[in-house]
Amino acid sequence: MAQQQHSGLVGLPQGAYLRLLLFFLGPAVIVYTLFSIYPLLATILNSLYSHQKDGSYVWNGLGNFHTLLFDHTWSHPFWNALKNNFIFFLIHMCVQNPIGLLLAALLSLPRLRFRATYRTLIFMPTMLSVVVIGFVWQLILSPLWGIAKMFLGFFGLGFLFAPWLGVESSALVTVSLISVWQFVGIPMILIYTALLAIPDELIDAATVDGLNQFQAFVWVKLPLIWPTIGLVSILTFVNNFNAFDLIYAMKGALAGPNFSTDIMGTLFYRTFFGNQLQLGDPSMGSAIATMMLLVILIGVMAYLFLVQRRIQRYSF
Amino acid sequence: MAEVLIENLKKSFGSVEVLKDIDLTVEDGGFVVLVGPSGCGKSTLLRAIAGLEPVSGGTITIGGRKVNDLAPAQREIAMVFQSYALYPHMDVAANMGFGLKFAGTPKAEIEARVAEAARILQLEPLLKRRPRELSGGQRQRVAIGRAIVRKPQVFLFDEPLSNLDAALRINTRVEIARLHKLLAATIVYVTHDQVEAMTLADKIVVMNQGRIEQQGKPLDLYYRPANLFVAGFIGSPAMNFLKGQVVAAGVDLGVDGRLAVPLPQGMAAGTPVTLGIRPEHMRIAAGEGALHLAATVELVERLGETGFAHLRLASGTVAIAEIRGDTGLKTGDRTHVALDAAHLHLFGADGRRLG
Amino acid sequence: MRKPLSAFAVHAILGLYTLLALFPIVLVVMNSFKAKRAIFNTPLQPPGPSTFDPVGYTRVFDDSSLPLYYLNSITVTVGTIFFTLLFGAMAAWALTEYKFRFNTLLALFLSIGIMVPIRLGSVSIIQLVAELNLINTLTALILVYTAQNLPLAIFILSEFIAQIPKDLREAARCDGLSEYNIFFHIILPLIRPAMATVAVFTMIPVWNDLWFPLLLAPAGGKQTITLGVQQFLGQYITDWNAVLAALSTAIVPVLLLYVIFSRQLIRGLTSGAVK
Repeated sequence: MAQQQHSGLVGLPQGAYLRLLLFFLGPAVIVYTLFSIYPLLATILNSLYSHQKDGSYVWNGLGNFHTLLFDHTWSHPFWNALKNNFIFFLIHMCVQNPIGLLLAALLSLPRLRFRATYRTLIFMPTMLSVVVIGFVWQLILSPLWGIAKMFLGFFGLGFLFAPWLGVESSALVTVSLISVWQFVGIPMILIYTALLAIPDELIDAATVDGLNQFQAFVWVKLPLIWPTIGLVSILTFVNNFNAFDLIYAMKGALAGPNFSTDIMGTLFYRTFFGNQLQLGDPSMGSAIATMMLLVILIGVMAYLFLVQRRIQRYSF
Repeated sequence: MAEVLIENLKKSFGSVEVLKDIDLTVEDGGFVVLVGPSGCGKSTLLRAIAGLEPVSGGTITIGGRKVNDLAPAQREIAMVFQSYALYPHMDVAANMGFGLKFAGTPKAEIEARVAEAARILQLEPLLKRRPRELSGGQRQRVAIGRAIVRKPQVFLFDEPLSNLDAALRINTRVEIARLHKLLAATIVYVTHDQVEAMTLADKIVVMNQGRIEQQGKPLDLYYRPANLFVAGFIGSPAMNFLKGQVVAAGVDLGVDGRLAVPLPQGMAAGTPVTLGIRPEHMRIAAGEGALHLAATVELVERLGETGFAHLRLASGTVAIAEIRGDTGLKTGDRTHVALDAAHLHLFGADGRRLG
Repeated sequence: MRKPLSAFAVHAILGLYTLLALFPIVLVVMNSFKAKRAIFNTPLQPPGPSTFDPVGYTRVFDDSSLPLYYLNSITVTVGTIFFTLLFGAMAAWALTEYKFRFNTLLALFLSIGIMVPIRLGSVSIIQLVAELNLINTLTALILVYTAQNLPLAIFILSEFIAQIPKDLREAARCDGLSEYNIFFHIILPLIRPAMATVAVFTMIPVWNDLWFPLLLAPAGGKQTITLGVQQFLGQYITDWNAVLAALSTAIVPVLLLYVIFSRQLIRGLTSGAVK
């Protein structure tokens, strides 16, 4: 009688059952809690203390956040990084995801030749390290090598060339587009998979109803892949607000020129580790990480409650 | 082989009782078939015997040993699953010997037992194949082989034929009957197919809503169903039921007329009863008679030599009668049917058999 | 009436985009084999007998510890995949198979990490790793990456384990297998395809990550190849031969592996992604 309440396994005593659960769940829960959940919570807690010059910590309540948002020396870089991060995200949403959708739509066309080849090659940059990609593009755009200028010149547009990465007004857009170039494979594959899951009969039915391929895509396929597009959007959001590597690899921790490519990740790194201009401050670093967490959570919540709930999911 | 004794067995999921006071004896070497509609608790009962499902009360005894708190492996049972449940990543021989390997049986002994089972089931050429390289019927035989190899006290079969096509189902049914005799095995077998139940069982147990409605020899259930449920469940097409009430000379069916049905003693006039008659005990008749009903032919189904006529009575009730040969009957014909007095069943208002 | 996009237009778009995707990579690899003068004068020409010069590669392999960094990356990636798969599969099995009081709550707890990036806890991770005396060790990286990848692994593997027919586990119980043996002898072999998917999801970001190597193991010969290349590039920024060769050594092995396994990889991505 006793054993049924806990396990549903006949003939297994309580103690053995607990050992079983401990054995299977223990390692994952311990590693995950120690190296993921605990650091997240500790970081939030850290953000409520103030780091003193002698290395000790003093309770500071929400003081760090007040400093971050209202003290000019902190708030200026913070708002700058947040604004840049939104621009970074918007460029991904407006360029990366539509291109990904277009490529996926083309790749999923019936009877397309070289489908696997295109898919494999277009996904290739996504496989490479951001560090490598950053350097490659830095070389290509470098006026020293002149590849980009040569190309523009080929089309008679040589006068358009500028050292985009080095100019304040264009650096952020350039870096964003490089990131788009690298990661377009992810929305492409996700959307492509969703498109493949739509049964051919549905498109046949639309054809019988008199829709051409383009109309069938817009009126039949697109509504069916909204959940995937929603998923792609939230993944883009989380990844963009967590980005760091590309900017660091191309522009260093100072995210130049004049902080024009500074995003939350680089600001966090600079604040925590310090740099030529300031000493490292774990407490303010934690406060920035907590703000990043907040932004990401708001995004995820908005997705879960506003987007995902309204999207009808279909199963085939 | 051993006897299985089930006493006062209860099982509930939360507040839902899925087994209610089950009492059942499976004799040593007996073949008991559990039948009933889906959700009646027959599979749960089988899984409770196997030890795959904890019970809420009562006892299960196998070979004189109370097994309630024993794990499935300690109960000396073997189970054949509906999906066969063959391990996809092992070949046939490994599948059959897998349980023995973990029981610490010596390798030579495992090989001998697997070879023996393979011989009995004609699986020898397939021993090195993987399950996915086998046909449905072959997988079924491997699943049975896996059970045989373990030399269990009791074999448990959970709808073993339902994934096979019709022809294979008949072959395998015959095969299982042969194995039962050959191994003198005690078998508990769950099915929703009454043909399997009728042909295989020494004892059929009809279950409904977690209760045993009736248990007994197949023909006893056919000729003397204990209640309306069993009467309607056993036999195909199902028994026809006509509602009426007791009058002096028999049963009054209202607009369908009066039938001179022999009644058990002591039936008060006016008692509501249900008259049951199987299609095979009705025949098309020329005119009126003491046990005749007037009807209009709705539909005639011919299966060959035999067939079924769907008849609408005056009251609107539809009854099915078996027909033989070419009767020339067609939709819209007005006719009469005669009921066989020897095979009339009478049930009271509570659904129980009268007399 | 069918009036599809002409096949030509489709192939033109896909072909152009493929060129755009490949061009920078080909350009770098191609020029890495050329003499400095040719890199600047004729960057778009493949290396010929007159322009071939492997000086960049000699510099890379003489001056740096790139082979060691490769080994570090392989150790970290393989270690992470091993522990993620083992611990993840074990937890996924327990969560799907066994009933216990906090089952749902625990599953929810373990899924937080799918959406919340572990990087945000970096400040405390460094403090923790320092306290454990694991700074500049590969162990630290493996532990952090395992924690980072476990949530998605558990999620994908749970879905897969739930699809294994119940009959199979019960047949194993009737066969007398302990719960441990059911997991190791029945479940693990059956979820291999799902584990391949998880391995792919784990491998790419771990191999390419710059953040945690930079924070946890930036020196002492424990750099991963990604960080190593980054540091090397910083040092040799003006030596174009060395830079191009270093980039190529980072690119080529990954792409070779990718081309060999692309079929499985794309299948893994497409099967796991939509669940």
